[in-house]
Amino acid sequence: MKTIAALAVSAAFAASALAQDKPAPPPSWQQGKPAAQAESTLHPFAPHMTGRSAKDLPVNTLKVPSGFKVEVWADGIPEARSLALGDKGTVFVSNRNAKNVYAVTTKDGKREVKTILTGLDAPNGIVFSKGTLYVAERGRITRYDGIEGKLDSPGEGKVVVDNLDPNRAAGHFWKYLAMGPDGKLYFNVGAPGNIVLPSYKEAAIWRVQPDKGVLEQVAIGVRNSVGMDFNPKTKDLWFTNHARDWLGDDSPNDTLHRVSLKGGVPNFGYPFCHQGDTLDPEYGKNRSCAEFAKPAQKLGTHIAPLGMKFYHGKMFPAEYQGNIFIAMHGSWNRSVKQGYNVMRVKVDEHGKASKPTPFLTGFLQDEKADPPMWGRPVDLLVMKDGSMLVSDDYNGIIYRVSYGK
Amino acid sequence: MRGAAASVAAFLFMPVVALAGAAEGEKKAAPCVACHGEAGNSVNPQWPSLAQQPAQFISTALFMFREGNRKNDLMTPMAKPLSNADMNDLAAYFSAQKAAQPKHQSKPENVAAGPGLAKKFNCSQCHGPRLLGQQHIPRLAGQQHEYVLAQLKAFKAQTRADIDGNMTSAAQALSPQDIEALADYVAGLSAE
Repeated sequence: MKTIAALAVSAAFAASALAQDKPAPPPSWQQGKPAAQAESTLHPFAPHMTGRSAKDLPVNTLKVPSGFKVEVWADGIPEARSLALGDKGTVFVSNRNAKNVYAVTTKDGKREVKTILTGLDAPNGIVFSKGTLYVAERGRITRYDGIEGKLDSPGEGKVVVDNLDPNRAAGHFWKYLAMGPDGKLYFNVGAPGNIVLPSYKEAAIWRVQPDKGVLEQVAIGVRNSVGMDFNPKTKDLWFTNHARDWLGDDSPNDTLHRVSLKGGVPNFGYPFCHQGDTLDPEYGKNRSCAEFAKPAQKLGTHIAPLGMKFYHGKMFPAEYQGNIFIAMHGSWNRSVKQGYNVMRVKVDEHGKASKPTPFLTGFLQDEKADPPMWGRPVDLLVMKDGSMLVSDDYNGIIYRVSYGK
Repeated sequence: MRGAAASVAAFLFMPVVALAGAAEGEKKAAPCVACHGEAGNSVNPQWPSLAQQPAQFISTALFMFREGNRKNDLMTPMAKPLSNADMNDLAAYFSAQKAAQPKHQSKPENVAAGPGLAKKFNCSQCHGPRLLGQQHIPRLAGQQHEYVLAQLKAFKAQTRADIDGNMTSAAQALSPQDIEALADYVAGLSAE
């Protein structure tokens, strides 16, 4: 073990010495950009960290299907990312560039936003289960037991598992967190760049039993997933995945995946094969997509699917039961932008996923402008009454979609 | 063309809000100008100019200071009492001020090498072809020399907070000589 570490260190020194004579390594998000796109001005977007007030934004241009209604549920939540619902109705909200976790409570019909955890390291992943809030930071997962009874002083988190990011690699270091039907925590470890050969820990979905802290591999060849949920009927894990950038506007698709928890660790192909059928121009040489597991559905190129949830609430019409809703956070790596919406995917009795269709739209204003959108959906949360919350990290706003009434 | 389209879209979108915010911001900016200079044009090479910086960059920087992601003995206590609304107002005000012509005289060799370095190290990719900044990305053209130098060194040392690790990642490729050359080059650029 020590020898391997020593070798890795000396290899790193050798690489940095060599680097003096080579072209500069690009920043992680630009890595893999071909010469043909050298002049491209495409770049990722960043959130307004101080948030923007809903009254200053065109929220009345948001659209939902007939019979549905969309409204602002709360604003003033900096970089609102993942959502989790407590037993007592507290809505927990994470972020990834700030260091906090927020709690939103409702008193006399008014939303109160409280900062409950501070000083965390990219705490993007949160999930609530049996009185406990679990938080996935860059390098560890912690637990806060009985948190709803002590929102003002939740104390220090107890470590469930750590050492998840020993290299502090650039790239996709933020994590999504979900609680499985088996009582285990499911999360991603992203690839440390756009298109690179991942280490054994990276580009994978993992799970861990909270009281044991031992990692189990669930799926590999997953570039980065920032959304997962379990089919309540079949208990299968479903997750969204971001494909690589810089292969042009129309390739490859971001994808939706299904994994049976009954056995096997599927390899979904990264960095060799994308969207189940497209070999990578570099890593795919002398390989075949036939050796890899296929996605359940293609979702659109560079559309950046984030949070996804099976709908099993009581409010929406019957045809929405068992559907998957997916929040599309992109695209940025496309000259003509698409997405910036919430899409709907139907799942039939055989577990086959339909093509996605738009459900909540209106954030995308001008597909060729920079920036093209005024808001970006991140995560979804089905509330006890069956309504659905949608977080928007660009503005620090949470919207509520309801039906009828 | 892209830039023009973007600024037209931004103008159509929130002119009234931005103007109201800028007026509020001017009142709140009194403590800032002691260091950052009249209308946010710093005259001290150590302290950055805020004039004509993109609003989203200013508000994000203030947020990072208040939340402790970014640390500085002078700035951290200044940012502590500010609300998000204060930060947005200050951002609206300073972003609307015109950048002064830089006093810094770049060395001729860095003026010659600068554009190539800015392209090679991906500076212009995000900061724009003339390094004027956009959205959450700061204007480098005409920024104070010692300040830029200190930031680049800190990014390289991985001690300076940024958004999603992009700048930290970009700075890893810079040699000490590159940092000296780039800081000297950008500090002398006009932001007009």
